[in-house]
Amino acid sequence: CVPGVRQAQWLTKTKLVEGLPPAVQAIVDNPALGLQELEERAKHVVSHARLWDTAEAAPRREKYCPVLFENLIHLCRSMSGKYPSLSKRMLARNCRIAATWERESILLQVRGLSGILMNSMTPIPPVASQEEILATKEHVLETFYPIAPTIDLQEVNVYKELNDTGQCFRDGYPYSHPHTLFFLESANARTDRFRPEQLRAKMLMFAFGNALAKAKALHGNDPKVLEQPVVVQSIGTDGQLFQFMVFQLNTTDLVSNDGVKNLVWIDSDQNLYERAQCVPEVKKRVVVKPAGISGFQPDTFKKFLALYLHGTV
Amino acid sequence: MASLRVRRLLGPGRRWFSETVPGAPSPPASPLYPPVVASITAKSKAAKSRRLQRFNQRVHAAATVEEKLRLYGKLQRPKYTVYPQTFALNADRWYRSFTKTVLVPGMPPRAAAAKRSVATAGATPEAGRAPEPAAVEAPAAVEAPAAVEAPGAAEAPGAAEASGAAKTSEPAAGAAPYLDIGELRSLACDALLQESFYQKKKRPFLYRDQDHTPGPFLTQLVSTLAASLSSRNPLLAACSLDLNPEVNYYWHHGEEVVVHGHRKGRVDPVRFQIDDNPHLQIRVPKQLPEVVPLESDLGDVPVIDHKPSKLPLFKKQYENKVFIGSKVADPCCYGHTQFHLLPDKLKRERFIRERLEDQIEVVYRSNGIASLFAWTAAQAMYQGFWSEADVSRPFVSQAVVTDGKYFAFFCYQLNTLALTAETIKNNPRKNICWGTDSKPLYDVVEDGNVKGFNDEVLLQLIRFLLNRPKEL
Repeated sequence: CVPGVRQAQWLTKTKLVEGLPPAVQAIVDNPALGLQELEERAKHVVSHARLWDTAEAAPRREKYCPVLFENLIHLCRSMSGKYPSLSKRMLARNCRIAATWERESILLQVRGLSGILMNSMTPIPPVASQEEILATKEHVLETFYPIAPTIDLQEVNVYKELNDTGQCFRDGYPYSHPHTLFFLESANARTDRFRPEQLRAKMLMFAFGNALAKAKALHGNDPKVLEQPVVVQSIGTDGQLFQFMVFQLNTTDLVSNDGVKNLVWIDSDQNLYERAQCVPEVKKRVVVKPAGISGFQPDTFKKFLALYLHGTV
Repeated sequence: MASLRVRRLLGPGRRWFSETVPGAPSPPASPLYPPVVASITAKSKAAKSRRLQRFNQRVHAAATVEEKLRLYGKLQRPKYTVYPQTFALNADRWYRSFTKTVLVPGMPPRAAAAKRSVATAGATPEAGRAPEPAAVEAPAAVEAPAAVEAPGAAEAPGAAEASGAAKTSEPAAGAAPYLDIGELRSLACDALLQESFYQKKKRPFLYRDQDHTPGPFLTQLVSTLAASLSSRNPLLAACSLDLNPEVNYYWHHGEEVVVHGHRKGRVDPVRFQIDDNPHLQIRVPKQLPEVVPLESDLGDVPVIDHKPSKLPLFKKQYENKVFIGSKVADPCCYGHTQFHLLPDKLKRERFIRERLEDQIEVVYRSNGIASLFAWTAAQAMYQGFWSEADVSRPFVSQAVVTDGKYFAFFCYQLNTLALTAETIKNNPRKNICWGTDSKPLYDVVEDGNVKGFNDEVLLQLIRFLLNRPKEL
């Protein structure tokens, strides 16, 4: 199912805040992290993924999107020399997620392969203060009358309500807190890829699913407002455009439309670079566009790194 | 009539020459006629050698490395495809003869010196290599005395131990970084447990067991170890880690007579091509230091009297590629370490079932030799060397060949690229490959515990990752 972000907000009882939360923004703006030197390496990494990685003329998206992701993660991981607690993270690929909840007497379920999941031993501290959480009580969820909120969702008969991320990992797994989910839209044809709006909605649904499963594992199945909100981050990309999302689960009481809502901060459509030219474009013997990466935006990489470091810095 | 008049003019004392100065005639300033050389287009040996010379000059004079590589592999002819991961019997002897490589068992001497000093640190009462999180002296601090002594020089053990122990106690007093083997061991065990025990996966696809558990485990292990060791090794901090890259190399070695076809009877070089897909590759911007000097002779290259097709090896004609994993423009153009995963077809149980136990080690060795030769030779070509312009400095790279449980370590030093029939005649240099036998990293994983973890293998892996040039 491919709901838009507004529909996903209603389904997950969430309030949207544009931009990144102040805690993450503080990491981006912190000069002590030495993000300037990393800029040069980030540029190299992008050139490697987009230009140099293949023996053919230009790599295809199926190749360069995962390679770019791996290189960025490798760059972020190499910061674990400075911050030793970064080594308490583990990447898990091909995780299956399953979570069930009820919204106004409609039973909803999220299932599927949720991309790449990074787990950590310690949870992320809550991003929003208590006042902000209580303020969401006033917020009214947007409805789409006359369209039913469950439009475009597949109706299935559920025989078993599956409910944990423990479904993906066994008990006793030391890296038990989901930290960040990564979604790579790496299909070659544009029609097979999710559009940015749909990608954001998918990220929200899966982040919510992971957070809900973790909350139920920690606090039990009863719907209630959580004293310790669960925070899960999410990053989605198609190799050039990045979507950043921080989701905070404040309540598992999802049946009613009132009360405390969940919060999500979305920073959408961040370009990492403008163009990647493999072969210089020449018109009438004059080089119009030289080969290489043009329009590199270091801020996007800084946000990526800040989301990675969030929770340990 | 003209002749009578000429004879009268040619009377005694008269000179016919136009110069009036006596003495030997001075040679003309520039040659009057062009040099007499063989034809280019004739069907003769002289013409063939002249065509070869012109081709060599064209490659020498190429402006960029890409142009050189393009000219080098321009002519396509049937060539033997050499597979690094092969079930052929005794393939490593054949591969050594194709690549002029000497196999030296064990690890190169510099690693041995570090091992000795680490062992002596273990003998001292304060920091033993106890299984509990004990701090072992960092190889960085140990390699400093080793580098001071001389790389690869086998000192008298007493002197090395004494100086090693003296120098290790000194940095121990200072703030030298300790290598926490316990923490690295727990990282390795966590990676292993996650892939094999904690994460719930579906059943492995038929004959794809390697992609189910050992592949992801190797990726996790290397990426986490490389990240945590990057603070100790600045080369790792600037490295490029690639998953599933491609490595190709094309070369000529020896001569044969064309058997059938319109070119029957002509003498042709024997062409080989390696197309390799390592599981993981670490490339660095600075070259690893040489292990032994360029002209050293550590053994013999096996000589095989049969045609390569008897191995069995088959000919195919396709693009002649030379590729290290990324294009020439990449600043990380030198190789550091490669990791190879053996496929299901070559697993140990299969060899034991067919009663070919001695071929198990052959598989690891042939994979190490062929892949490392291709990688180092391609790196040398990226720097502009080729068979007519031999390398002026040795190229060193490392590789780990594993099937998920058993690890074998290889270190390769490329001393010569000149393997064609003409250039090999007066070439005394040989390529050298150091290799170990395969050892298990652990015994078995059950109930969330790793039983029988082997620290030796982990230490060797860490030593590989910490390898770097002396200046760094």
